[in-house]
Amino acid sequence: MPYYESVFIVRQDIPSAQVEALTSQFADIVKAHGGEVKKTEQWGLRNLAYRIRKNKKGHYVLFNLDAPHTAVDEMERNMRLHEDILRFLTVKVDEFEEGPSVMMRRDEREERGDRPSRGGPRSDRGERSDRAPRDVVADAE
Amino acid sequence: MSIQETSGSSSDDSRRSGNGGKRRAGGAGGAGGGAGGGRFFGRRKSCPFSGSEAPKIDYKDVRLLGRFVSERGKIVPSRITAVSGKKQRELTKAIKRARFLALLPFVNDRAGA
Repeated sequence: MPYYESVFIVRQDIPSAQVEALTSQFADIVKAHGGEVKKTEQWGLRNLAYRIRKNKKGHYVLFNLDAPHTAVDEMERNMRLHEDILRFLTVKVDEFEEGPSVMMRRDEREERGDRPSRGGPRSDRGERSDRAPRDVVADAE
Repeated sequence: MSIQETSGSSSDDSRRSGNGGKRRAGGAGGAGGGAGGGRFFGRRKSCPFSGSEAPKIDYKDVRLLGRFVSERGKIVPSRITAVSGKKQRELTKAIKRARFLALLPFVNDRAGA
């Protein structure tokens, strides 16, 4: 059966116990349609990069699914209708990541100060490459 | 990964990347993000995702993706980061997914100093 990875975001007002109940609810839907939930991860309440439906934070949950597409469709359909689910994303993957995902492993890794150069230009867009350098243009004054 | 996704962020950088593509072949560093129009011949690094120790591009890895995104939140062109073409496409896909999941912002207005 194909492998899927699904992440969904639950509204911040919901207590985490209820989030877990919701998680198992979706897991049951998957199982009822012949699928298996291989891994569940709770990333907890995280800050969202932008506001979704007026929420600034959300509970993130990750599923690793080994399920037929009908099970995934049904799960997604339920997520779509559910008021407390802000976003969901299901991706087909070739294989599962062993062990905890990157989010959970984050605490072990040290802060990496090295940043490859992200571009010299001061401004975001940098110099226009099709225009002559500024000192040449200034001569027209 | 065969999911079809409509992404909100269109490539508003496409205006620039057209010129960059032409320049790259000539090796002229002038278009390569030189501050104040300087020539940069030193930007010959290899793709950070090639080689055996390369990290895997994952839309969940916000820290990794954040390195290839500008301060405003825009995706940095590969002529600056030296990412290979194939990996840049994977990276772009991952960044757009992360943006959809609110792991990365679409725009970073309030980014301070």
